Amino acid sequence: MKKANSSEREQSKFRQFLSGDTFKALLPVIGLAVIIAVFSILTEGKMFTPKKLRLLVSQLYYPAIVATGVFFVMTLGSIDFTEGSTLGVASIVISVLSFYSIPLAIAGGILTGAAIGALNGFVHVRFKLPSFIVTICTMYLFRGVCAYLTTETAVPASAAIKALDQDWIKITVTCAVLAIAFFLFQFTRIGNDVKAIGSGETAARFSGVRTNLVKFFTFVSAGALTGLAAFVNVIKVGSITSTAGNQLETQILISLVLGGLPITGGAKVRFTNIIVGTLMYAILNNGLVMLGYDSATQQLIKGIVFLLFVALTIDRKALKVIK
Amino acid sequence: MNERTLLIAENIDKRFGITHAVNNVSLTVDAGEIRGLIGENGSGKSTFVQMLCGIYTIGGGKFTLDGQPLHARNQVQANNAGVSIIVQEMGTLSGLTVAENIFLGHEEPFIHMGIKNSRAMNKEAQRLLDGYGFGRIKASAMIDRYNFEDRKLVEIVKATYMKPKILVIDETTTALSQNGRMELYKIMDAVRADGRSVIFICHDLAEVLEHTDTVTILRDGELIDTVRSADVTEDDLKRLMVGREIGSAYYRTDYGTPVSDEVVLKADNVSVPGEISGISFELHRGEILGFGGLSECGMHEVGKAIFGASWDRSGSVTLADGTAIDSIQAAISHSVAYASKDRDNESIILNESIRNNIVLPSLEELANHKLLNGPKLTRFADQNAKNMQTKMQSVKQLVSDLSGGNKQKVVLARWLGKNSDILVLDSPTRGIDVKVKQAIYALMQDLKQQGKSIIMISEEIPELLGMSDRILVMKNGQISGEFLRSPQLSEEDLILKMV
Repeated sequence: MKKANSSEREQSKFRQFLSGDTFKALLPVIGLAVIIAVFSILTEGKMFTPKKLRLLVSQLYYPAIVATGVFFVMTLGSIDFTEGSTLGVASIVISVLSFYSIPLAIAGGILTGAAIGALNGFVHVRFKLPSFIVTICTMYLFRGVCAYLTTETAVPASAAIKALDQDWIKITVTCAVLAIAFFLFQFTRIGNDVKAIGSGETAARFSGVRTNLVKFFTFVSAGALTGLAAFVNVIKVGSITSTAGNQLETQILISLVLGGLPITGGAKVRFTNIIVGTLMYAILNNGLVMLGYDSATQQLIKGIVFLLFVALTIDRKALKVIK
Repeated sequence: MNERTLLIAENIDKRFGITHAVNNVSLTVDAGEIRGLIGENGSGKSTFVQMLCGIYTIGGGKFTLDGQPLHARNQVQANNAGVSIIVQEMGTLSGLTVAENIFLGHEEPFIHMGIKNSRAMNKEAQRLLDGYGFGRIKASAMIDRYNFEDRKLVEIVKATYMKPKILVIDETTTALSQNGRMELYKIMDAVRADGRSVIFICHDLAEVLEHTDTVTILRDGELIDTVRSADVTEDDLKRLMVGREIGSAYYRTDYGTPVSDEVVLKADNVSVPGEISGISFELHRGEILGFGGLSECGMHEVGKAIFGASWDRSGSVTLADGTAIDSIQAAISHSVAYASKDRDNESIILNESIRNNIVLPSLEELANHKLLNGPKLTRFADQNAKNMQTKMQSVKQLVSDLSGGNKQKVVLARWLGKNSDILVLDSPTRGIDVKVKQAIYALMQDLKQQGKSIIMISEEIPELLGMSDRILVMKNGQISGEFLRSPQLSEEDLILKMV
């Protein structure tokens, strides 16, 4: 009798674990391990040779920078679809300015991104429009700007800026962004404020959080970081076409969700979501390419994995608060 | 009285994870009986009736209604079997008309060959509304046009027009004004006279005793006893609910204690368009100032206005030193605290931990050169939560897991941690059981002793009479009367100024 009871309890404990927060929190790491294992087997280990690893790492820089900004936006429970077109426009600005001065080009890129973020944030906060509607509109707007500026010919960047395409520069920039963001998120009230807004905006306002200000500047910094990422993009690709940053927004969204970021934002986000997610996306992407799938099949598989992760990680109790 | 048994519940059981919400409860309800169902927050009352009404699945055991087994999978099935419920919070759907709400899930009689006959539906709904004496509510109008109370009346029609054998009323009266309550009592009596039954869940024990025939007491999911309302007193019920003697010191017992002349906060000609106009008053050091009135009288907006949270406020709110309170930030940093009536949306962040809820207003003080120290925040939260005797596993737990009373403790813990001098408490004991209520009243007296000032906004007249040094009564957005604390002051005196 006693024994039956204890095994029953163990079983219910296991079930609790599966539906519980600990499991949800561990899921991204488990997923990462599974993906690494699956592709190691499928590619017979070729995927993790030093050469391929370098390729993999080179694909992490600008997505990680962009994802850091979007991470804060999504923690608010908001969403930003403009990264792709922001990256395009900022890349053009950087390329043009790169013929005058490199620091000016970098500043120009960051400011362009920040300005687009400010527009998003202003419209979202001032007119109380849901961020996903605002940013879908501005996404089309700036995608249009980007296409207009590149209709005649691709916009080339100066040789001086292309000479900066060195791993140590890109690694330094990426790590600095991650370190500063981690510090702000974990050890200042910025992290508390964005999480509080994501969990319950009205209550956050009544607790003294300057909700509008925080939301506005979160969008500005997401834009600014995308502008910085555009610099990393320019030194890598050298000339900007109308497709620059195409579909970057979905890539970032998928990465963060794969990393375990609840799409509703709020209290359960973890900073590691950025790193795990970006890594998972890159491995998934590279692995599928190496296995020789055409792009249609790749998209199909990515879609399924994405759906699976959203279903497993979403916080259904918080669904009401999506903005 | 008819002695026929209408409802039999046998060994009803329900678990949520590790919580044993309802533990093997068996009871019977006779036809023509009004049965009170009481217990502290989390004692399983709501879970029990929600299983009866098909909102939750039945965990174990069975219900038998009028000789037929009842196992409703949803509310519509329960309705058809003869059980309906009026819930505590908003139970009507926005974006539909009054008539569509009344007949939600029961539209068949108005549908012919797939086409809904709205005119017939509106006509029938209006007939029902008129029959209940709610003729001022128009069946064809959108439900959104009506305030909380009228929507509750629509819900009452919706739950009773089909003459259910069992009508469940879950904590509905806290949302209603005196008038609405009267309507509800009338309907309960009519159901009884008709040989049908009511299950009435309510925290107000005086109300329970006055309007029920029998009372069933639950504690921690278990059935403690069923007693005849005529044979027991409020104190008996409290004892049965809590499982120990509750002292008689519930409200304040002191009268004639002078209040300091020192003014700590002054509201001058405060108006919010469509809500309140020309509100002026002074709050003194160590004073408990009550605000009373009907739920739509504007007193809840006064709380927000003082806290700097109103949109579009005119007039001024100033502290003794002349500091103007114009924003929430100004209020918080100058020691003004606010606990909203809408606890789940405005007072606490539901999907956040207890810790982060408690530290949020105090982050400036807790930070060292703008840097936050995690363990220090946790200690701060833990200490304040424990001071309030919050029932929790740890401060890392989400607030949404807590019962109403414990959520309110978290709200109070954060402001006590902040050491606020002026506390604006809107409906501080709304939906909270006796034990926590008593703790909150004791705390208010403590704070008063320490020289802190409290504005208590409340729809409960006994609470206003029992706790306030002074009561301001409001009507139509303006102050309509002022009363000083006195044992002679009666509920009628206040009601006269409210309506």
